[in-house]
Amino acid sequence: MTAGAAGDGRTGGGPGTATPPRSAARDGHPNGTGSSVMGVVRSEWTKFRSIRATVLLIAGALAVSGFYSLLFSTAAARDYAAATAADRAAFDPAVPAFRGLFLVQLLVSAVGVLTVTSEYASGTMRPSTTAVPRRGRLLAGKSVVAALVLLPSGTVIALVSFLVSQAVLAAQDTPSMALSDAGVPGAIAGAGLFLTLIGLYGVALGFLLRRTAGAVSLGSFLLLTPGMASLFPEGLARWMVKYWPDAAGAQIFAIHPQAEGLAPVAGLGVLVATVTALLWAALAVFRGRDV
Amino acid sequence: MIELRQLTKRYGDVTAVDGLSFDVRPGVVTGFLGPNGAGKTTTMRVMLGLDAPTSGTATVGGRRYADLPFPLTEVGALLDPHAVHPRRRAFDHLLFLAQSNGIGRGRIEEVLGLAGLADVAGRRPGEFSLGMKQRLGIATALLGDPPVVIFDEPVNGLDPEGIVWIRTLMRGLAAEGRTVLVSSHLMSEMALTADHLLVIGRGRLIADVGFEAFMRSRPSRGVLVRTPDAPELAVRLADAGAAVRQDGDGALVVTGMASAEIGKVAMVHGVVLHELTPHRVSLEEAYLDLTRDSVEFGQAAHFAHARESVRTGRSAGRGEPARTRDGVDA
Repeated sequence: MTAGAAGDGRTGGGPGTATPPRSAARDGHPNGTGSSVMGVVRSEWTKFRSIRATVLLIAGALAVSGFYSLLFSTAAARDYAAATAADRAAFDPAVPAFRGLFLVQLLVSAVGVLTVTSEYASGTMRPSTTAVPRRGRLLAGKSVVAALVLLPSGTVIALVSFLVSQAVLAAQDTPSMALSDAGVPGAIAGAGLFLTLIGLYGVALGFLLRRTAGAVSLGSFLLLTPGMASLFPEGLARWMVKYWPDAAGAQIFAIHPQAEGLAPVAGLGVLVATVTALLWAALAVFRGRDV
Repeated sequence: MIELRQLTKRYGDVTAVDGLSFDVRPGVVTGFLGPNGAGKTTTMRVMLGLDAPTSGTATVGGRRYADLPFPLTEVGALLDPHAVHPRRRAFDHLLFLAQSNGIGRGRIEEVLGLAGLADVAGRRPGEFSLGMKQRLGIATALLGDPPVVIFDEPVNGLDPEGIVWIRTLMRGLAAEGRTVLVSSHLMSEMALTADHLLVIGRGRLIADVGFEAFMRSRPSRGVLVRTPDAPELAVRLADAGAAVRQDGDGALVVTGMASAEIGKVAMVHGVVLHELTPHRVSLEEAYLDLTRDSVEFGQAAHFAHARESVRTGRSAGRGEPARTRDGVDA
């Protein structure tokens, strides 16, 4: 904030104005140790908003979320209509509420990937790192902006998913939940947090792999893996459903958490630990590598 | 002021830069010259902290680039004009760079104007010509109003108007007291801009020399004389102790006698002179000569032809080519 003001004070001297080169001193700057973290965050925000692909991807994630919620809840309502009394008693309207997020998370991780790989693909990683040679700061700035964008938009995505699913169920005379029901607001906030972490997972993969195609396909493969758990031997399948990071993390937005899974906070902890480890690995690689 | 000390950069088995030491001083345009693959770009990348040196140091104003608090206000660089996102507006490209270094928006308008891009600030570089991208790269380099600027092959792909613009700009920046380092693989380009030359080949320093001193150090190739009375003058000059030979198109090439002396001999014998030109080894020839041993193997064939023409046109008994700073500056 003050960084911009400090900069404005020195706009007079430029080539052609015969100003002698200044010294390195930047009077009045709030952070004498280097490009301020706030400056880097604002810079990263400018990068983010000035590329249409990432913005469109978030809009796409929102649309996909609503659409799959519609499909999943319509299917659930159909099953309910055909179900026996016993099955009807066991019907949980929370189940279709966030099922679409399993797919939406792929788009969200791609948003994180693109914030990094678009720089490698276009070559702007070079001017970016010459502007911010402290690589840790650059990576932190990207992560902060991804989180600041994805926390609200992820929450909105979850909210849309919930509202669409429950509206469809209600319209088909199937039991449904209201936003005010116990556990619902927490689950929506949890889903927003989950999607934010998935976006950061994408950021880490982007730094590690540098190529959009590689990072998106590996990232998606790993996210979809627990969905294939039933194909694996039973012991392994149980382990995957319980501990695979995105499956574990998904417990945080389960309105009625699965008995075989981790407790919500523990599950989130697994995802946080995984994403943190990947970001540290990304930092180590980014620091040690020539741009 | 840029200082390199024993800078070495290896990529696996390939040594791109090999124990390079030199200073780039403020107030002059320093040409950074070498054949393709000599290590110019690598050296610049290390200066800018993009690549880590294998050993040795590169500092700007006494500090490593990575330690500069606001690097864009200390060093401006144009490495690759294509390093812009094709769909991010030119203004936004400059904005994100400015924000990261605490540079105000007013300065963005200034450099856009300076680079002649004010009208296209809202357009996307994907639609830009190479010349416009080059201008955007220059605007980027000047964004922080830096006392040190580094340009890698800035005239590549520019039209004549753009080339003149960049030359004038670089000379202006140096005149303001800035340190200006500009790389090129074309000696002729340097002739028009550089005050000082750093010549490298195979990652090693070949010459660190003032432009004038470099030119003076080149061996004379004799004096070209045109006269309608060539046989007569040839005999008179030979009598006076000069070595004379016939050029292909009827002119005489005289060695071992200065042009003033030749003019005097002609006057004494009433020979009309149409031309009297001291002939130095051309800039390109001198450069090829200097970098002969350091051309990358793959380019050897390409240069062989040019080298041959240098050799055949050269008079015997010339001095040793400038090998080091001591050899030339002394």
